Amino acid sequence: MASTVKYLRVPPNSASLEEARRRVFDFFKTACRSIPTIMEIYTIDDVVTPSQLRSIVASEIRKNAHISNPKVIDMLLFKGTEELNNIVEHSKQRHHILGQYVLGRPEITPDSATKDQGSEYLKNFFRSNYF
Amino acid sequence: MASVTASSVKFSPASSLIKQNQVSNLKKASLSFTGNGFQSHRLPVRRFRIACAAKPETVNKVVDIVRKQLALPDDRDVCGESKFSVLGADSLDTVEIVMGLEEEFGICVEEESAQSISTVQEAADLIEELLEKK
Repeated sequence: MASTVKYLRVPPNSASLEEARRRVFDFFKTACRSIPTIMEIYTIDDVVTPSQLRSIVASEIRKNAHISNPKVIDMLLFKGTEELNNIVEHSKQRHHILGQYVLGRPEITPDSATKDQGSEYLKNFFRSNYF
Repeated sequence: MASVTASSVKFSPASSLIKQNQVSNLKKASLSFTGNGFQSHRLPVRRFRIACAAKPETVNKVVDIVRKQLALPDDRDVCGESKFSVLGADSLDTVEIVMGLEEEFGICVEEESAQSISTVQEAADLIEELLEKK
């Protein structure tokens, strides 16, 4: 197994929100510590810096910051660990990493944010199905 | 026996002189009970908590990383005593700052010491300690 991430054999439930929180921080630290490996595998050194990747990971975690059910947090952590494992053991390719995590973020690719995409209706249309 | 009497003589000046410093009283007691009857007239140095202050350039590097991470404007003053929560960082931001410091200085911060960091100065001290250990 080329995976450098220890596959967390977590018990099914966190006992409390505090423990779930600790697990989130552990996951974040594991992800940050595997960032140099990821940059080397997919040769993205000229596109992003490690600190930008760190903030990307943090923003993904923050998207679910409002969850308060420990079981849901466990499930999200499981999915996150699975995704991190896939990335680290080179199951993905460079365009997956760039498309899913790097591009489209205003702080990293500032020029695409200013592209004029047409009317307000079109902007909503590009963003989602329901508006 | 002689040492016991010596110790009884020793206690009164100690208690009258340094009333508030309980630790030094205990120190006197431990010195006398070793039984060698050695009257040390050297008063114990009042232990201030001068944690060996981190070097200014370390503190400056930490301040830079914090400023960049929290996207603080330049006029917002960040000094050694500023707490992360006051600067607007939540717990995930604190962990991220610690990871940034880990990368910058090439150290590895342990779990429990990472939990206790709450100000810039503590982070700088921890970094100094870890750099020395290497």
